[in-house]
Amino acid sequence: MNFDLSDEQRALGSAARDFFSKAASPADSRNALEDGSPTAPGLKSVVDTGFHAILQEGGSVLDLAVVATEAGRVLAAPSFAGFGRVSVLAPGEDLAAGVAVVDGGPALDAATATVFYALQDGALVRGTGSAVQGEHIDPTRGLATVTLDSTSPVEGADRWTKALQVGQVLLAAEGLGTAERAVELGVQYAKDRKAFGRAIGSYQAVKHALVNAFVGVEQLRSLVWWAAWAADEAPAELPLAAAAAKGLAATVLEQATETLIQVHGGIGFTWEHDAHLFWRRAKVDRLLLGDDVEAYDTVARLALA
Amino acid sequence: MNFDDTPEEAAYRAQVRSYIESHRDQLISSGDSARREGDLTKARQSQRVMYEGGYVGITWPKEHGGQGGSPMQQAIVDQELGRAGVPGHVGLIGIGMCGPTVIGHGSEDQKQRYLKRLLSCEDIWCQLFSEPASGSDLAALRTKAVREGDSWRINGQKVWTTLAQYADYGILLTRTDPTLAKHKGLTMFVVDMKAPGVTVRPLRQMSGSAEFNEVFFDDVIIPDSERLGEVNDGWRVGLTTLMSERLTLGGGGGEMGISTSAATAYLSQQIKDLPEDRQALLRQDFGRVWTQLLATRYTGYRQLSAISKGALPGPEASAGKLAGTAASRKLADLGVRASGHQALWFDGPFQASQAGLPGLSIAGGTDEILRNVIGERVLGLPAEPRADKGLSFEESVKL
Repeated sequence: MNFDLSDEQRALGSAARDFFSKAASPADSRNALEDGSPTAPGLKSVVDTGFHAILQEGGSVLDLAVVATEAGRVLAAPSFAGFGRVSVLAPGEDLAAGVAVVDGGPALDAATATVFYALQDGALVRGTGSAVQGEHIDPTRGLATVTLDSTSPVEGADRWTKALQVGQVLLAAEGLGTAERAVELGVQYAKDRKAFGRAIGSYQAVKHALVNAFVGVEQLRSLVWWAAWAADEAPAELPLAAAAAKGLAATVLEQATETLIQVHGGIGFTWEHDAHLFWRRAKVDRLLLGDDVEAYDTVARLALA
Repeated sequence: MNFDDTPEEAAYRAQVRSYIESHRDQLISSGDSARREGDLTKARQSQRVMYEGGYVGITWPKEHGGQGGSPMQQAIVDQELGRAGVPGHVGLIGIGMCGPTVIGHGSEDQKQRYLKRLLSCEDIWCQLFSEPASGSDLAALRTKAVREGDSWRINGQKVWTTLAQYADYGILLTRTDPTLAKHKGLTMFVVDMKAPGVTVRPLRQMSGSAEFNEVFFDDVIIPDSERLGEVNDGWRVGLTTLMSERLTLGGGGGEMGISTSAATAYLSQQIKDLPEDRQALLRQDFGRVWTQLLATRYTGYRQLSAISKGALPGPEASAGKLAGTAASRKLADLGVRASGHQALWFDGPFQASQAGLPGLSIAGGTDEILRNVIGERVLGLPAEPRADKGLSFEESVKL
């Protein structure tokens, strides 16, 4: 048994962390909220790294998940869920053009996309459309409601379900990174902040809340790895693994970000602090690519079948 | 990344599986009624048969009757026994905790006399650590050992002692110097459980069964030759026991207090008879529980992978226990809820599990202590200040 990342994957993760830690930060999310500044790193910068095309270049979903986890730590945009989903749905598509998949509601990274895919009456269509944004909870997700105007049928409808599942796995991988970072920030603050003459992290009420969030992160890591591995190596396990990862990512990310706010007390509740930017990601991600209720229902239907 | 055995592991697994299959009728089964009724004959035979095959004490050194094998081999044997529906050995506490303590700190004479008989289940052992006034705070224990020439006089009480009613020997942690700090004045002994002055009283648990005991020591005499380690060095000796416990329980992927496959099979039957809205609610609850159980299983596989590469289980193993315990408790409750009117009676399919599982949140480190361990040793958060810091035991009991 070797349920662990390879040395190459760890090196890939480390390269991705180097890039993302310089190219994006929660401050970019706040700026985008305040004045509509572009989100970071942005499509062009990510495309320059080549990380977006890992699947198209023969890499694995697990490789892409390793990078997505790092992207999640800094609330990077655009999402690797989109890159992965499109890579499976339309392997030859040029991701650098900005490609979004439209499911019905507001679509991930549709705000700046120029190419759209959708499933219409069982057929896959590709084309152009107009995207309308609402008031964002989390601007880094580039959500927009899309009206398709000129589309034509393309082959690939048989890949729709797997593409969606791969998208869910990568969304969960980003959620893993975001939750992991939220716990780190909470732990650091709990070590630094003093109350009643000692660090607040020494109080069990605070310590245990952080531990619960940490345990959730480690549980989620196991499911993200399994689901990504299943996408690559065990297609029969993917439907269950993807649903479990998607559902748990929603639960764990909400728990981690709400804990982050609570541990910080009043400062964690301010606009200036980063905590709410992580929390905004949680509140939006739980509803993307199917919501957590649907994911858990799928887990139950598959396990009780 | 893969979930396959290495060629060596696969060969070992095949050998273990074949041995278990060819001796299956001599091995005990989960839920064996004789064991529930206190007849350990079959359970003892079961362990002896595995011992004769070379599958008990796998990580023990060869000179003490073990196999000099790896923790991964131990995990494979555990998995194969689980697969065949054979529960943990009746001598598990001896194999996993008492034996390694004797190996680490006993005299040659003690090793000769005890270890092989322990592995082959000629003797059953118990661990006498917890007391009514020292649970999570183990070093606060009060059972007194007073030196009298070449022996020690023991007075006090232990509690939660699993299998004490059947045990031949126990490892006993006592206080030998109350004027020292509470961790410093402890000494470990091997105690003969049949010695005069030892009284074992079974404790009935909330589930109705009695698996552990209170043990009273009234002027029990232990020869000094039965001491394990130096006088007043018992805390360090006890750490060997507790580290070995982690190794014994490490490996992950196992079930916790409830058969998940039985629960799933039961729920898939029961859900069909429910109205649609109830079905949706049950699926929502079950989906969340099942997801946690899947995550626990795969977290266990990560731990097993580390063991396979030669690492020892660390404090992060506690994360799997916390999550798995919580999910197992919820699963048992779902099983009870899904049993309709039967949910009001105790003789339903998951009622006993439901009543037994709260114990998992307490035994082997309470949920709260495990959270402290993870918070302090993994996350690096500061420990809670201790009111008894720097005090002798005598002073600390006056707080």
